[in-house]
Amino acid sequence: MLEKQLTGHRVDRSICAWFWEQAISQGDSFKLQPVIASPTHYLFQVVREGITYLACTQVEMPPLMAIEFLCRVADVLSDYLGGLNEDVIKDNFIIVYELLDEMIDNGFPLTTEPNILREMIAQPNIVSKVLSVVTGNSSNVSETRPGATASCVPWRTTDPKYANNEVYVDLVEEMDATINRDGVLVKCEIYGEVQVNSHLSGLPDLTLSFANTSILDDVRFHPCVRFRPWESNQILSFVPPDGQFKLMSYRVKKLKSTPIYVKPQLTSGGGTCRVDVLVGIRNDPGKTIDSITVQFQLPHCILSADMTSNHGTVNILANKTCLWSIGRIPKDKAPSMSGTLVLETGLERLHVFPTFQVAFRVMGVALSGLQIDKLDLKNLPNRPYKGFRALTRAGEFEVRS
Amino acid sequence: MAGIRLHVIAPLVLMAVGKCARDASVYVRKCAANALPKLYDLRLEEHNSAIEEIVGILLNDHSPGVLGAAAAAFASICPNNFSLIGQNYQRLCEILLDVEEWGQIILIGILLRFVIAKHGLVRESIMFSLCCTESSNSEKDGSTTEISIKEDPGFLCGGNNFGLDVDVSGDNDLLASMVSRCYIERPDEYLSRSSYTNRGPELNVAQFTSGKSNNDVKILLQCTSPLLWSNNSAVVLAAGGVHWIMAPREDLKRIVKPLLFVLRSSSASKYVVLCNIQVFAKAMPSLFAPHFEDFFICSSDSYQIKALKLEILSSIATDSSISFIFKEFQDYVRDPDRRFAADTVAAIGLCAQRLPKTANTCLQGLLALTRLEFLSSDIGSVEGEAGVLIQAIMSIRSIIKQDPPSHEKVIIQLIRSLDSIKVPAARAMIIWIAGEYCSLGDTIPRMLTTVLSYLAWHFTTEALETKLQILNSMVKVLLCAEGEDLWSFKRVLNYVLELAECDLNYDVRDRARFLKKILSSNLNPQGLEEEANVSPQHKELSHVLAEHIFGGQTKPVSPEPMNCRFYLPGSLSQIVLHAAPGYEPLPKPCSLLHDDIDLSNACQGTNALESAKNSDFYDTDDHGSLSGSLDEESTSDYSRQDSITKSSVSSGGDGTGSANDDDDSVDLLIQISDVGNACENQNGFSHSGSADLRELISKRGLESWLNDQPGLSSASTSEPSEVSISTARISMGDIGRRVKTKSYTLLDPANGNGLKVDYTFSSEVSTISHHLVCVEVFIKNCSSEAMSDIFLQDDESSKGSYSADQTIVATDR
Repeated sequence: MLEKQLTGHRVDRSICAWFWEQAISQGDSFKLQPVIASPTHYLFQVVREGITYLACTQVEMPPLMAIEFLCRVADVLSDYLGGLNEDVIKDNFIIVYELLDEMIDNGFPLTTEPNILREMIAQPNIVSKVLSVVTGNSSNVSETRPGATASCVPWRTTDPKYANNEVYVDLVEEMDATINRDGVLVKCEIYGEVQVNSHLSGLPDLTLSFANTSILDDVRFHPCVRFRPWESNQILSFVPPDGQFKLMSYRVKKLKSTPIYVKPQLTSGGGTCRVDVLVGIRNDPGKTIDSITVQFQLPHCILSADMTSNHGTVNILANKTCLWSIGRIPKDKAPSMSGTLVLETGLERLHVFPTFQVAFRVMGVALSGLQIDKLDLKNLPNRPYKGFRALTRAGEFEVRS
Repeated sequence: MAGIRLHVIAPLVLMAVGKCARDASVYVRKCAANALPKLYDLRLEEHNSAIEEIVGILLNDHSPGVLGAAAAAFASICPNNFSLIGQNYQRLCEILLDVEEWGQIILIGILLRFVIAKHGLVRESIMFSLCCTESSNSEKDGSTTEISIKEDPGFLCGGNNFGLDVDVSGDNDLLASMVSRCYIERPDEYLSRSSYTNRGPELNVAQFTSGKSNNDVKILLQCTSPLLWSNNSAVVLAAGGVHWIMAPREDLKRIVKPLLFVLRSSSASKYVVLCNIQVFAKAMPSLFAPHFEDFFICSSDSYQIKALKLEILSSIATDSSISFIFKEFQDYVRDPDRRFAADTVAAIGLCAQRLPKTANTCLQGLLALTRLEFLSSDIGSVEGEAGVLIQAIMSIRSIIKQDPPSHEKVIIQLIRSLDSIKVPAARAMIIWIAGEYCSLGDTIPRMLTTVLSYLAWHFTTEALETKLQILNSMVKVLLCAEGEDLWSFKRVLNYVLELAECDLNYDVRDRARFLKKILSSNLNPQGLEEEANVSPQHKELSHVLAEHIFGGQTKPVSPEPMNCRFYLPGSLSQIVLHAAPGYEPLPKPCSLLHDDIDLSNACQGTNALESAKNSDFYDTDDHGSLSGSLDEESTSDYSRQDSITKSSVSSGGDGTGSANDDDDSVDLLIQISDVGNACENQNGFSHSGSADLRELISKRGLESWLNDQPGLSSASTSEPSEVSISTARISMGDIGRRVKTKSYTLLDPANGNGLKVDYTFSSEVSTISHHLVCVEVFIKNCSSEAMSDIFLQDDESSKGSYSADQTIVATDR
């Protein structure tokens, strides 16, 4: 447990005890509740990778603000420490505290831009660890005050220098689809992000334009994006932060087809249930589809399951999840999984039907069809290297049976 | 340094901050702004003006970084000092885009409050209809007596009606779809969104400004609309809230997509946003109707999110989209999460009520479902299955209730399926349906003989709640029956009553005895001659009473329980559904012109009053407003609880305890209400120990009173005698309750201090009328302080409260 007191009024630790009591007694459903009204406080919780972030207030405030902030803390911490778990936090206690110190002050978020934070608090690495052990000086807060807060681009490190200027733009898309029991595509949409990794010297000004912005249903921007050019010409004009960041996220709705199909079939009777699942390529996107997995939760009333497949491996995990990892689809045959589920005694047939979750990945293609037209850079001494990539993976891709 | 919470150094710190606030460096000024709330927190009154002055200086700053922090300081120090904002309003709006995201959230809220305080609400916006209501209601609000607060719901409805009528005449079609919803929900929203201490009739239409002509409003809307694209969902929601309140109705569309897009971010924020969308969708279903697909459920959603989505879906369904939605629902019903499946079934019922055209389809589907579930419920395997089945039958019943004659066939099918349905609650409900609609159409009356003998045959094997329901329904049937059937019914009922009197459960025995007494005239198969020794009045009375209890209780039910209150979009209170401490409603429209007096005082008063009002308004039965917040929470859950544990309530045998529940659910479930009454009556029996004529009469009074509740609204002792005594009767259950609540809130139970209330029925005949029962109530003040303003009140005192105030002289022990 890590605690940071933010306001002068101490929040009693007992609230955490209360929280744990509740969490233990109520189990999973409690973990999913983002806003909790306890007898004395209001709690906000965000769970990330097994770590629970709690914020706590006694007075009215925008709840989303707390939740967003917790998410931001989680992002920054895992960014700094390279993945988060209990041990890592224990090892880097000081850094975590320093970060929290900088990020929030008196209950109000202070500096949350990772660029600036990095300027103020050095990231842990072996050199600094050795140094601190040798010198006994454990502080890694830089002495200078951050310059960027003064500048008009508060998200960017003041003056980074790179020998070779590079900028990479990635389109990362997630396909959400729901296929209902009759095999009809109920909903199919793409949630995409434009991720930029910039290593550019000075204060560059970038302009990114797309070939077909009309397909975008809705967009959200990083604060660095100027709204005016987008409103008038649908052009992204921005001064990028340093390093990796999410420039924009977008949504494309009402797509007509999915790259692969999954056809589950359940027939039950006489106390058992026969499951057959077929997977195949429907629309070839031109690139290989890999890391295909299909998983589903076995209903409670099932005693045992026996599943086999003609391609890939089938695992039944401890929490009654059946995971079939296919990988790539072979050319010569269509992968299929089949097996029987034994129902609880007394049950004649299955009356609840599991939902199959499908995951896949397509490298090199943005399935939404969004295309980057060009990327212009200004304010740069020498010609930078520009790179583009695209990737689509399955988001909430569900097939009901 | 400001973090050092020492009062001694506060002046020093203040000076330093003041210097820093004029520093050349942006970072320093920002830190100065951040230090201000800490200083203010020390609560040194003498510095407050100085601090506010510094806030003013900082708000004048031209750097966006400073402004964010300054806005936060402003919000925590002097949120009502609008003159500080007024000087910089335009600049603040323009710079809003460049302020850091956290500052944006706060600043948006401040600007919104300022505009409303300065210019009032926008005429084209959705809030307008709401505010007409305020003006028409304002006089009533001024009075602070408890009674008038309690009557508020009634007045509000009337007021709303009026307000909306005015509005409809002058406004576009969009509203038409809204009216019905508003009618139900706006009273609450109105209560919570606007402050209303001592509001005189000064509020009128002139206080509305036109969004098109007013520059300030226009700027605010313009500057917040790009924020809908923000990466930070809190900013999106805050901007959405501004548009919701201020934007013209036609422009509201633009907040829909961003809000829906926010749903794609983390699951925690998803929940919060859905909570807000739910309110928007209820107030204005047309807004979200085209986007119904976004509310389709993913298996990865948590249960709360699923439930919210279902609720939104059922409120935005339109005739065109309903077929898709039903398709989805069909899938959901087969979901492994049975609790969710049961909710889906309930949602189907709601959809059918909203769109009467689809009622038939729904009924078919639901009937098929009940048949489907037999297979599993036969074995009685999982608890969830029973839940689904009960929910299905409840949905069917609520659909039938809307238009009984056209669903005759469904009723018949249900009755037929009685044999195969084993879940007690579901059986009880079908039996209720059978009893309630026993005289409907041609076929049902003919079936009744068979049904009743079937029930009588199975009586001993039934569960408790079913037994009670069988008794009730049989009496209902009996009262409706005539001619040849009457005789056979009587026989069956007699048989069942005899069985019931020997039942193991005392509730059933009580019920049986009570019914027997009440129906003694009807039941006697020997005929009327032998009752000559009983006064004819008695016979007539008991008959009338029985009719009242069991006949024609189908009161018009309010279509939806008013279980949601509304707070500002994006606020914490909206999520937890009670006013969180520090929650402030929007400022009074146009209050800026004549404020500055002491707004803070007024606001505190408002909050206190508001919470009191809210709690009163919510729990029609009067919980103390001190325990309000918790109570409210539970009430907001009532509808669900009631619907699930409905059966247990309906069986509620012990009168005292169930009195409260019954009253709560009166709106929901008719059958509960009559069961409840029966219970009360029994209770009366056991209290007075004798079932004499007076009791019956008072019960009749009670019934008549219950039946024409809406009619008698005034509250004084000078009511017609019968009414006043009936209220007294009801309060039997409640006084006990009130004592309890009192000792909870006001008094210290540990020391034994407090208000002690004893009551007895005296045997003497009342001097006013022999129809009255005398109740002696002894109230004793066991504490050391004087008490005043003690009311004797019954549960439904919104309609009529029994006795006047009794001031108690303080007596030590």
